Amino acid sequence: MASFDSINYSLRPSKSVQRGIVFHGLKALSDAMALQNSLYIGFGSIWFTDFVMAHKALEIDEMISIEANDVGFRRAEFNKVYRSISVVEGRSEDKLPELLNQGEYQARPWIVWLDYDGALDEEKVEEMRWLLLNAPPNSIVLFTFSATQNAYGKPAQRPGRVADILGPVVPDELSREDCNQENLPQTLASLTMDFLSSVVADNARPGGFIRSFKIPYFDSVGMVTVGGVLPALGTAPAARAVIADHKWQGIVDEMIQAPPMTLKEVATLQAELPCLEDLTRARVQELGFDLLEHQIRSFQRYYKYLPNFAEIVS
Amino acid sequence: MIPGDKSKASANPTKAFFVRMITRDITLEDCIFDLIDNSIDGAWELAGGRPMSLADDTDLSAYKISIEIKPDRFSIHDNCGGISLDDAANYAFTFGRKDDAETENFSIGVYGIGMKRAVFKIGSKIGIKSTFTDNGGLMSFRVPVDVNAWLAAGDGNWDFDIEGADNLAAPGVQIDVTDLNEAAAQSFESPRFIQDLRRAIARDYALHLHRGLTIEVEGKSINGWAIELRQGGEFSPMRASFEENIEGEKVYVEVLAGMEAIPPEDSDPDGDWDEDQNRSGWYVVCNGRIVLAADKTTLTGWGTESWPIWHPQYTGFMGLIIFSSRRADLLPLTTTKRSVDATSQLYRRYRPNMREPSKAWIAYTNARRQRERDEVVGQEQEAKSVPIYEVAAQPAVVLPQVATKKRVPEANVLYSVPKPRLLKLATAMGNIRMPYKEVGLQSFEYAYADLVGED
Ligand SMILES: Nc1ncnc2c1ncn2[C@@H]1O[C@H](COP(=O)(O)OP(=O)(O)OP(=O)(O)O)[C@@H](O)[C@H]1O
Ligand SMILES: C[S@@+](CC[C@H](N)C(=O)[O-])C[C@H]1O[C@@H](n2cnc3c(N)ncnc32)[C@H](O)[C@@H]1O
Ligand SMILES: [Mg+2]
Repeated sequence: MASFDSINYSLRPSKSVQRGIVFHGLKALSDAMALQNSLYIGFGSIWFTDFVMAHKALEIDEMISIEANDVGFRRAEFNKVYRSISVVEGRSEDKLPELLNQGEYQARPWIVWLDYDGALDEEKVEEMRWLLLNAPPNSIVLFTFSATQNAYGKPAQRPGRVADILGPVVPDELSREDCNQENLPQTLASLTMDFLSSVVADNARPGGFIRSFKIPYFDSVGMVTVGGVLPALGTAPAARAVIADHKWQGIVDEMIQAPPMTLKEVATLQAELPCLEDLTRARVQELGFDLLEHQIRSFQRYYKYLPNFAEIVS
Repeated sequence: MIPGDKSKASANPTKAFFVRMITRDITLEDCIFDLIDNSIDGAWELAGGRPMSLADDTDLSAYKISIEIKPDRFSIHDNCGGISLDDAANYAFTFGRKDDAETENFSIGVYGIGMKRAVFKIGSKIGIKSTFTDNGGLMSFRVPVDVNAWLAAGDGNWDFDIEGADNLAAPGVQIDVTDLNEAAAQSFESPRFIQDLRRAIARDYALHLHRGLTIEVEGKSINGWAIELRQGGEFSPMRASFEENIEGEKVYVEVLAGMEAIPPEDSDPDGDWDEDQNRSGWYVVCNGRIVLAADKTTLTGWGTESWPIWHPQYTGFMGLIIFSSRRADLLPLTTTKRSVDATSQLYRRYRPNMREPSKAWIAYTNARRQRERDEVVGQEQEAKSVPIYEVAAQPAVVLPQVATKKRVPEANVLYSVPKPRLLKLATAMGNIRMPYKEVGLQSFEYAYADLVGED
């Protein structure tokens, strides 16, 4: 079953937070690097949530959505939210090289977000490698994949499986514990990031790779978004400065687990924010309901990025 | 007539030769190893400086080498005794060892170039600091090198300044390099480079790490390879020792060889067992340092003198030849410590000792293909891994006597399927990493039981 048949992506709270962080960061990078002329490439599915944000937040007009599923492709054509979106039918590993061969696209920066269905595997890793080595200067690349533990084999096989997929960046001492349900998203996020840096450094791509996004998040399954900037030589300092700033939120150390909440709960908690101290569980209970500690932390940190809750409760 | 002013052909070296040219012939990793080698030479000398034979039990657990690798900075720090002021003034910084230089006993260093070449390869602002014991007290100095200024000063004056410095925590050396060269900076940004460096340290310094030496990269200390050969049942590795006398100096040689891993069932180069193949082959050790690892080339004999070139079928074989001598210059080391000098007389003289166990193994793997798989594997599994230090002396490798039996003719089935589908089937069979061949066999058995039933 194609994923668009099961979920409206805009309604998963952690995914929304993740998307919010990404576009907030992309906006800062785009201003610093002057990327208004860039091309947005992604998997818009039938909802185009990320495309709407690319258009609104980044002021990008020209956008390309790749869709492999034939029904999905027809529905995407039908649902595309802006005239300037082109929906391309096919698999990204075929379509991205075709796009690169078109002169007009080759000369402009790309913001590419491959928001995959499914777990990391050899094919996705190959595609990452290709993109890192071929994206035009000043491009930004992002990848999202599932970190659900069973897709990486049984517990005893998982460290080996991860090493099969990502190669020599994976330390020989990677443990079963690093790959359990709780830790796997963070482990995959770090190791995939290491993989991305290594490909660029080992192949001496001018300008290098700036690690920018590392976001493990959890709705009903663990997910990971990683990505970074492939700056032109001259732009690298400006881009590095954005990421080095203490306000940069793209590198997330604790898995985002935004709780699904009712409108009433959201309104009650939001009325307490922003506040400098940590919102405590005792306070939430005082307010008349309850949440787990990590849910409260996620809410306080990321409430600005939560989706429109009216949609969730409907 | 040659005019007077043309009667000499100028042959003075240039600084650029050392900074820009000879640094091309060595990898960054091997440069870092040159610095590790120097620390180890210091430690080995302090710990007694004996021949580095397998049986030697010198304890190195007091010594520690720490390496830090950042995108803009490299440093290595040891507590291995330091460089004395006399040594610094007279020869540690000269390019090429002077003939009258006192050599450390059983050292890895021999040519007098490693440290200089290493830091030049890494970057252009260098600080070398040493703390050493002098008449019972501690004394320190530092040698700052600004490579560009040194080059710009011309080829007249080659000396570096020695300055006073604070003491390090313990006698030892600390080398810091900043203003990294571009290639070094790029490698240091690659987590792959750092992981591979760790792996190479674990392998090439296995004999030192086994004796308790600590080597840390980015704060994480490295566990050495456990080098093991299989022994038991009808298998027994060889272990033989020899002594040579060259220029009045003793050279000790040990040869070990045998089965390191059970050979693969499958010799398809696209198979999924390259990992084991990586350990197979010959290892050459000089004064404790593995300078050639898992070699499968003509350097260790494969493909020379009627000895076949390496084939994946030979996977599982491991041989080590271990040289040690008080005078490292007698050993077949290259200046990069990454290979052997194949023209070395000593090395050539021992090639036949390497050839015998290799040939025995080749014959065994040829014969085992003619036999029943279960029987062969059963025999091989009786042999258990034993650390090389515990292998008993034995002049030649012992392998099962293979009497070729008649067996049922076999059919080889070969087919390709999309990898994602294979992984799905392997997962359903209970192991996402199941070897492809195993998936094939199980599928066959499954279909056979279903469609044919009992034999
Ligand atoms: N960490 C260290 N501890 C003690 N002495 C050191 C250290 N590093 C360098 N030295 C001294 O500096 C000398 C020069 O080192 P260098 O690596 O250039 O040459 P080498 O080790 O003699 O020979 P090779 O070129 O084969 O490495 C060494 O012989 C040693 O005396
Ligand atoms: C996870 S959804 C994208 C969600 C969207 N980015 C959002 O934030 O709302 C992935 C979509 O991309 C399609 N897809 C996945 N992998 C693809 C590939 N390699 N090539 C082309 N399309 C792909 C799927 O059919 C699906 O419609
Ligand atoms: Mg040396």
